[in-house]
Amino acid sequence: MTASPTAQQPRPRLAEKAVYYGAALLRTYGIVLALVVLVAVVAGSSPGFATSTNIANLFSQWAPAGIMAVAMTFVILTGGFDLSIASGFSLCAITAAGLGRTEAPAVAFLAALGVGLAIGLVNGVLVAGAKINPFITTIGTGFILNGIALVATGNVAYVVDDPGFGTIGAGRWHGFPYSGMVLVVCLVVGGVVLAKTVYGQSVYAVGGNAEASRLSGIRVGATVGSAYVLSGLSMGVAGIITASQLNSAQANIDPDVVFDVITIVVLGGTSLAGGVGSMWRTAVGLGIIATVSNAFSLADVNPYYQDIVKGCIIVGALAFDVYVRRLAGRARARAAGPTA
Amino acid sequence: MREATGKPGRATDGAATARLALRAQGIHKAFPGARALHDVDFDLLAGEVHGLVGQNGAGKSTLVKVITGAYDADAGVVEAFGEVRHGNPRARQRSGIAAIYQELTIVPEMSAAANVFLGRPHRRGLFVSRSVTHRAFEQLTTRLGLTIDPDARAGSLSVANQQMLELMRALAADHRILIMDEPSASLGPAEREHLHETIRRLREAGVATVYVSHNLGEVLALCDRVSVMRDGELVATEPADRWTRERLVTAMLGHVVQEPRSKPRRRADAAQEALRVEGLCVPGVLDDISFTLGRGEILGLGGLVGSGRTELLRALAGANAEAHGRLFVRGQQRPWPRTVRSALALGIALAPEDRQSQGLVLSMSAGANVSLSDMQTVASGPVLPERRRLRRAAEILAPLAFDATRLREPASSFSGGNQQKLVVGKWLHRRPDVLLMDEFLRGIDVGAKAELLAVVMRLAAEGMSVILVSSELEELVEGADRVLVLARGRLVGEVDHAGASVERILRLAFDVANPAGQGPAS
Repeated sequence: MTASPTAQQPRPRLAEKAVYYGAALLRTYGIVLALVVLVAVVAGSSPGFATSTNIANLFSQWAPAGIMAVAMTFVILTGGFDLSIASGFSLCAITAAGLGRTEAPAVAFLAALGVGLAIGLVNGVLVAGAKINPFITTIGTGFILNGIALVATGNVAYVVDDPGFGTIGAGRWHGFPYSGMVLVVCLVVGGVVLAKTVYGQSVYAVGGNAEASRLSGIRVGATVGSAYVLSGLSMGVAGIITASQLNSAQANIDPDVVFDVITIVVLGGTSLAGGVGSMWRTAVGLGIIATVSNAFSLADVNPYYQDIVKGCIIVGALAFDVYVRRLAGRARARAAGPTA
Repeated sequence: MREATGKPGRATDGAATARLALRAQGIHKAFPGARALHDVDFDLLAGEVHGLVGQNGAGKSTLVKVITGAYDADAGVVEAFGEVRHGNPRARQRSGIAAIYQELTIVPEMSAAANVFLGRPHRRGLFVSRSVTHRAFEQLTTRLGLTIDPDARAGSLSVANQQMLELMRALAADHRILIMDEPSASLGPAEREHLHETIRRLREAGVATVYVSHNLGEVLALCDRVSVMRDGELVATEPADRWTRERLVTAMLGHVVQEPRSKPRRRADAAQEALRVEGLCVPGVLDDISFTLGRGEILGLGGLVGSGRTELLRALAGANAEAHGRLFVRGQQRPWPRTVRSALALGIALAPEDRQSQGLVLSMSAGANVSLSDMQTVASGPVLPERRRLRRAAEILAPLAFDATRLREPASSFSGGNQQKLVVGKWLHRRPDVLLMDEFLRGIDVGAKAELLAVVMRLAAEGMSVILVSSELEELVEGADRVLVLARGRLVGEVDHAGASVERILRLAFDVANPAGQGPAS
């Protein structure tokens, strides 16, 4: 935007243009390239990777985190954060398993969804209504939910014997897990809602500029709050799938899942500042994380190394993004001349 | 560089050059699409209070920022005490120039004394010494004739005292040049008098002060010399006793051309009332505002910065929950809108002052921004077809000469003029009955200005009522059917199109600015 009114712009050199457009492309689709390269490398080095059984298992294994990442994409796009998902999802799983011991699976699952919905409503009201910082709010509700889970179960696992209970988590159709189908449906529906609906565009608008959205007549509070409700529902679905896969549930099932979920969303390229990102990015981020962790278990390396590598990947990816952005900015300043 | 002799702004007295505190020479500064300063020479003598006046946008603030180093000049030199200054504000502050803006730079959670010695604490070894700090603080308060508790939390002090802390900070750093931009705007009469007294004391001590203010009475009473800026040039510098308020206003305006209005105004529908406001108050900002707005009328709102124009628009648009008053829409009384959505339901929409922070979602595409206020009309149920949305946006922007092939690009990639077309396009999409436009031509090149003004005229001709706020009074005079003038939160006058001139509006706006003490308390 620094148009010098007098200076005669020299014609941009071809090489500079190439750098500019190359950097822009790399910034947008570099993460896809990274996934492709990663999959190729892992498939080449571990024969066990590119088998239908392994891929099906990956879908089943990553379904809970992936489903919560879909909702987290909405939350992060509004400029927020939901750190309560780990304990929220445990509590939903406990609800499902606890009721599943005596009730029909459908009843247990509906109750788990209800708990997720309630968690989402509380978070939404606190963040969007009472305007408490989402980081603080969801850390706080996360503690509360974890406490409730521990108190309710006495930190004992609920085990379900009903064979019908495990269908959603462990059932397959021609070898492809139901849970994976739920994940794919969530990704597709979430993607369509974000990109193609009035609601999705409101999410982008509110995250991009809340004041401009308010002055345009968009319901800012309702939009932000709804993202947390979605997140709560995703805890319900993820909790159901996990409880069903394990035929049991207890408090603290997977406390690290919150970091996995945020890593998936951010690694794909959705901005933590809000307003910028998309669902296909979350799908790609999920693919990368799933492939990396699978590569470790296939190669039979000490699983503790996995965390180190995961950490390096996320920091490296964001550093790369900053670098490419700077490159693009510099090339644009030189190549494009004054913007209209 | 042109010959300096005879140019305003220059100290003519040969002996005075010895006492020169600051000299700016041949300053040029341009912003994209606008010239802010053109060949400005400005001299400041040691022990002088130098007033700087001019209309909004005349270049006062830009000059101040060039002097302090917040901006780099495109051309020209700034010397303080004979040394050329360059570099960032921090470096320049070390060189003895301190600027005090209307927005104070106080750390509210720290004590008064800590604020004064911010960044240069009195130490004993590694530790900040309380007793030495307090002693130094008391020396300063005595010198300025103040009583401020050094331990008081700075945020708990009155605005006037917070300002005094800034003054003390400048003194503690031994700054010899003080630049004050509208320092009295938020002060009551007694506080203002005290500020003047303090500035006079500093003058005795040889401190040179630049005093920027819209309050002409105050400037004439306080300053030794007064310089007038107009359209980015410094047009006159004279001792204060040779100025009168009349002459200052005339100098700010330049040669006033009393051209007859080019075209007769259509006021056909003005009899039909679109909006009537009675007794609008916003605590501390607006006081008992009443007016009517006809259907298809373009109502201008003139006044100085801080007179309450923006707040009036925001109150009407439901963006200020503290506003109260009686509102009649097409003759029917309605509850005052408390939210933007309720104002929109009444058909009132606001195109806000700052297009980047309030008007647009910069990360979204141009097309998405245009449909932002009105997504339902292009949607089928919950689904928003992108192609239909872009087609509609292109239709709407066509009369604005907006390049429709760029609708998919993010709003951030456009120039100011094109961004403003998007803001206007957003409301063309929605078609409110009453459109409030706040400084909507600011920072826009001439061509885009003409296109935007033409669109406003056309909208009005089609029956939309418009309230136009602009600091560029020529635009109000040209574009508005009627101009209301605000000063210090009150309606002080009304001029119709035939009688509207920049001069009349300014005289109305400035006349209330005097005597120095008038205005709502707080």
